[in-house]
Amino acid sequence: MISDWFKTKKPRKLPRSPASGPAPAAAPEKFDAIVVGAGPAGSTAAYFMARDGLDVLLLERGPFPGAKNCGGAAVIAEQIHDLFPNFWEEFPYERIVTSLEYWWLNEDSAVTAGFTSGRLAAAPYNRLTVKRKNFYAWLAAKAVAAGAALRLGHRVASVILDDGRTVGVRLAPPQSAAVLADIVVLADGANSLLAEQAGLIPRLSPLNLSLYAKETIALAPETIEERFNLPPGQGAIISLIGHPTAGYNGTASIHTFRDSVNINAGIAVNSFAAGGFGPGDLLARIKKHPRIAPLLAGGVTLEYGAAMIPEGGYHAIPPLVHPGLLIAGDAGSLVNGTHGINLAMWSGRFAAKAAYAAKTSRDFSAAKLSLYRTLLDESFVLQNMRANAKAAALQRDAPYLFDLYSRMLNEAAYLSVRAYPMPIKAKRRFVWRKVTSLQPVGKILADAWRVLKVVKG
Amino acid sequence: MTKPPGINIALCEFRPDDAWQHVVIAAPEKCRSCREKNCLRVCPSAVFQWDNIPDHPVLVRYRQCVECGACRLACPAGAVEFAYPRGGYGVVYHHG
Ligand SMILES: Cc1cc2nc3c(=O)[nH]c(=O)nc-3n(C[C@H](O)[C@H](O)[C@H](O)COP(=O)(O)OP(=O)(O)OC[C@H]3O[C@@H](n4cnc5c(N)ncnc54)[C@H](O)[C@@H]3O)c2cc1C
Ligand code: SF4
Ligand code: SF4
Repeated sequence: MISDWFKTKKPRKLPRSPASGPAPAAAPEKFDAIVVGAGPAGSTAAYFMARDGLDVLLLERGPFPGAKNCGGAAVIAEQIHDLFPNFWEEFPYERIVTSLEYWWLNEDSAVTAGFTSGRLAAAPYNRLTVKRKNFYAWLAAKAVAAGAALRLGHRVASVILDDGRTVGVRLAPPQSAAVLADIVVLADGANSLLAEQAGLIPRLSPLNLSLYAKETIALAPETIEERFNLPPGQGAIISLIGHPTAGYNGTASIHTFRDSVNINAGIAVNSFAAGGFGPGDLLARIKKHPRIAPLLAGGVTLEYGAAMIPEGGYHAIPPLVHPGLLIAGDAGSLVNGTHGINLAMWSGRFAAKAAYAAKTSRDFSAAKLSLYRTLLDESFVLQNMRANAKAAALQRDAPYLFDLYSRMLNEAAYLSVRAYPMPIKAKRRFVWRKVTSLQPVGKILADAWRVLKVVKG
Repeated sequence: MTKPPGINIALCEFRPDDAWQHVVIAAPEKCRSCREKNCLRVCPSAVFQWDNIPDHPVLVRYRQCVECGACRLACPAGAVEFAYPRGGYGVVYHHG
């Protein structure tokens, strides 16, 4: 019975520090489950498996959870609240997001739209900005409190396959040991080398992965509140479209933290190769923009960084279920637009459910573990990604869309706002001619039709 | 060799591993005939450096790598070999 088995396993206490790890010569340790990566996906999977009585080892290559991650970030609070009720009471989040804005940018101007409401400031919150170090630490601590063994500074070098079935992992030096398990959950993030090296997923493509650079800029809390027009403790997220990504489809954003702001920008890896510039150039474009520079003026840059996001969308999702192994989070390309933390956590939750069902039936075949894929399919994770599948394809096929139409929007707005010494009808004709000189009407209609088809699904 | 704009790696904390280089150009002969030199542009922390002299090698300053993994995907010749640094080494982020 699962409950008896749980009792016999529990007393074994595991060494937590790398220094006291077992000698490589000893018989390999064995766990019910090994989770690779203490990110949102891995720590959530470890938490739920440990809570359900599995003997779980959580391996993280960084010196602490979150040490290897940067960029963004905001979480959709309600979706996490369903996994960890009132989680916002358990760790220091940065700000409660009450202002969401979209800025379409030209070199020197901006057309803006947004939504601001104090209603978003009540629990369960809409979005919260978080620093990864705090968020990852909280989540990993939950897994440990539930009984998982967390080992930091442990890099997994490869998964161990036996006749096509995953039976454990091999640690890189200095530990260099093999550790066995009935189930391995791969949650090693966007650049999932392990699955690729084991031949479980195809080689990652520079078309599907986007490279982002980020900069964290310190500003006093009151300065942030004044400049972004926020009540104390509340925050803004501004999505920047057009100019910051230098004519390529991509995204850029400003996230407000308590006493700093994060600026992020990225495009597909192959677009950098084609464009002849680097990720740092995108940040420079943002910081120099006349609408943005005043928001950041006087701020001191604390940290720079870069990371990839799998943005290939639904059709880029590799096979997630293998004999004895499940792929969760970014490693499985489970990202919707640039939102990945919530999807990662829910995929970790579903992986834990499938692992538990496999454990109770002592069947670790792909057929048994495919419960994972079923749960994903039935949830918002894959339903939202499926709904957006065509958007990802459109971005690939018409890479000029964001930039061109941001420029047209700014041109139209500029011309409309400006006063001209001509009658209103003539002015309308003039604006129309100017704007359509950027892109012929036929092409605008064709693009509009493509976008409409995607939006209508 | 000029540093590309916007790259502020001086602000990052690195715990460099002097004993093992985790990103290498495994097939340097391919760089000689490589026209794109994508590695030079894509890398967000200027790890790859080259002095524009055709026969000179592309240098790999792996100690300042932020471990994004993009170089391996961007190199058209498949010449870059990337693995994460040994446990506990490499870049350490603190600010989100
Ligand atoms: C610039 C930027 C901005 C973003 N903004 C947002 C946002 O606002 N909202 C949002 O929801 N998402 C955002 N995302 C996406 C989000 O970061 C990811 O989707 C999310 O972190 C995925 O979680 P994960 O657990 O799958 O992977 P990760 O968070 O990447 O965690 C993987 C973990 O595995 C560890 N690891 C990797 N390989 C090994 C190994 N071999 N051995 C041991 N450990 C290993 C890593 O050190 C890491 O801790 C952003 C991403 C970027 C780059
Ligand atoms: S892109 Fe690849 S082949 Fe070309 S110079 Fe860089 S490492 Fe060498
Ligand atoms: S992994 Fe990223 S930071 Fe490191 S060398 Fe490659 S491109 Fe540069």
